[in-house]
Amino acid sequence: MNAAMLEVRDLSLAYGDVQVLFGVSLRVDEGEIVTLLGSNGAGKTTTLRAISGLRPPRGGEVLFSGQSLLAVPASKRAEMGIALVPEGRELWPLLTVRENLELGAYTRSARARSAANLEKVFRLFPRLRERHAQMAGSLSGGEQQMCAIGRALMSEPRLLMLDEPSLGLAPILVDQVFDIVRTLHQQGITILLVEQNLQKALEVARRGYVIETGSVKLSGTSADLLADPAIRSAYLGL
Amino acid sequence: MKLLPHWVSRPALVALLAALVVGAVLPKVLGLSVYSQNQVTETFLFVAAALAWNWMGGYLGQVSFGHSAMFGLGGFISARLLLALHLPFWLAWIVGGLVAAAYALVWGHPTLRLRGPYFSIATIGVGEATRLVMTYWEDLTGGSSGLSLPITPGLKSELYWWALALMALVIAASYSLRKSTFGLGLLAIKSDVDAAADVGISPTLMQDIVLLLSGFTVGVCGAFYASYQNFIEPGDMFGFDRSISFVLMAVIGGVGTIIGPALGAVVFVMLRQYLIGSYPQLYLGIYGLLLIVVILFEPLGMMGLFFRIARRFGLMRPEVEATLEAKAAVGGGAADPGARQGGAP
Repeated sequence: MNAAMLEVRDLSLAYGDVQVLFGVSLRVDEGEIVTLLGSNGAGKTTTLRAISGLRPPRGGEVLFSGQSLLAVPASKRAEMGIALVPEGRELWPLLTVRENLELGAYTRSARARSAANLEKVFRLFPRLRERHAQMAGSLSGGEQQMCAIGRALMSEPRLLMLDEPSLGLAPILVDQVFDIVRTLHQQGITILLVEQNLQKALEVARRGYVIETGSVKLSGTSADLLADPAIRSAYLGL
Repeated sequence: MKLLPHWVSRPALVALLAALVVGAVLPKVLGLSVYSQNQVTETFLFVAAALAWNWMGGYLGQVSFGHSAMFGLGGFISARLLLALHLPFWLAWIVGGLVAAAYALVWGHPTLRLRGPYFSIATIGVGEATRLVMTYWEDLTGGSSGLSLPITPGLKSELYWWALALMALVIAASYSLRKSTFGLGLLAIKSDVDAAADVGISPTLMQDIVLLLSGFTVGVCGAFYASYQNFIEPGDMFGFDRSISFVLMAVIGGVGTIIGPALGAVVFVMLRQYLIGSYPQLYLGIYGLLLIVVILFEPLGMMGLFFRIARRFGLMRPEVEATLEAKAAVGGGAADPGARQGGAP
């Protein structure tokens, strides 16, 4: 068995008085694609925000390569090799594509290899090279998603977390995004993928967790989850 | 061998050197009177102060209404040092600036957790609290009767050169802060703090650094002002008017741009001279009105006007203009409500 790269144990989190997560546990092993599934408001994004350090949890533990992250500020977690592609992209709309990408390599360790990584990102997304001097806010939705993924890749992450990368994209672009996720995985990046599109997500992932109202209801290999009658009726309408 | 970082463009360097030469020969060529030369000295000083305010208010989008605290502290610390220890005045300025920077960090580190209008309101409290304490702290400030510095013959004309040098340094620093990787990080924080933290930028650390730089520079400006005026009193140094004046200069010229606040300071000093002379009761009201007009019709101030004219006559490539303007306006939402509060006095 591989070593756990990311381990979340019994994570609970509240926004003010409203508790959102009630003991979420999951693990992602080195080299895996794991998907976190669930409907709107289930707590998927909140789980990612806790892992990336933007929201302090109320209880539980987050371990990265066996090391506790709870005392580590968000900006340091990027340096440790965790990158997030946030929901809705969260690009800097008035900065150019190139500046957005360069900001992705802001950590001291990544800055030295910024130029080489920029070239890599441009090779992966030739469209971004064409548009490098354009403001990120003027890109199409698909291009913005590419830019957000590219920005995350600039820090040479070991763990890439994608929050609903297919959100608001045309079907053909959704296919492209999942192709990219596969490519990145083949290049050796461990991926935690949050999705509402179960079918697509389970096609690329090896294992999955289904989260409902703040706790993990089901987990298993993608094949098991796809075959599960509860999943089929609740999420796939079959 | 590369002497300069990649973001230093040749035109910018040439422009700065040219401005310095012009500043240096101007009083001689025009044969300025002592009075006019002193006006220019004061303008240089406020250009530096407005640009330093803009590092916080423009680059970081954290509009401060409390910068008089650092201005005053720098002034009084350096005055005390000059009176008690007879230090060379430049050394007293630096110590004054350092104390001001330390003070800025003490109140700013906690307050900078707030953003936008919330931060602005907090700074009003900081500024007023500082003014009150300083007014009653007679051992430091001499209370309401203020402090007089020893008069050194010929100092005022010498200060012209020091003001020119100070301004040049601050302009260069403004340019570096904007164009460097550090400056890009500031833009990222201004426009989306969470996204910035996600890519490994530490907002807390970077905001503290900007605050230290801004506080130090404004403190040095206050110290310079003390040497220049020979007499300072807390009501003037720490006054709310003083804080508002920095906001006004930046807003008139163009918040967040590199050179806008400098232009704003020039206009401000000239206008104040005229208004105080002609409408002493009305002049703050007129500033309030001006502020409202600028925010309503041209939020980027004189720089916005300049961009508009350049665009009309096709003097600027559209993509260059778009990005320049964009950079200044990034996160403008945070700056606007703050600036609007300035209309109150």
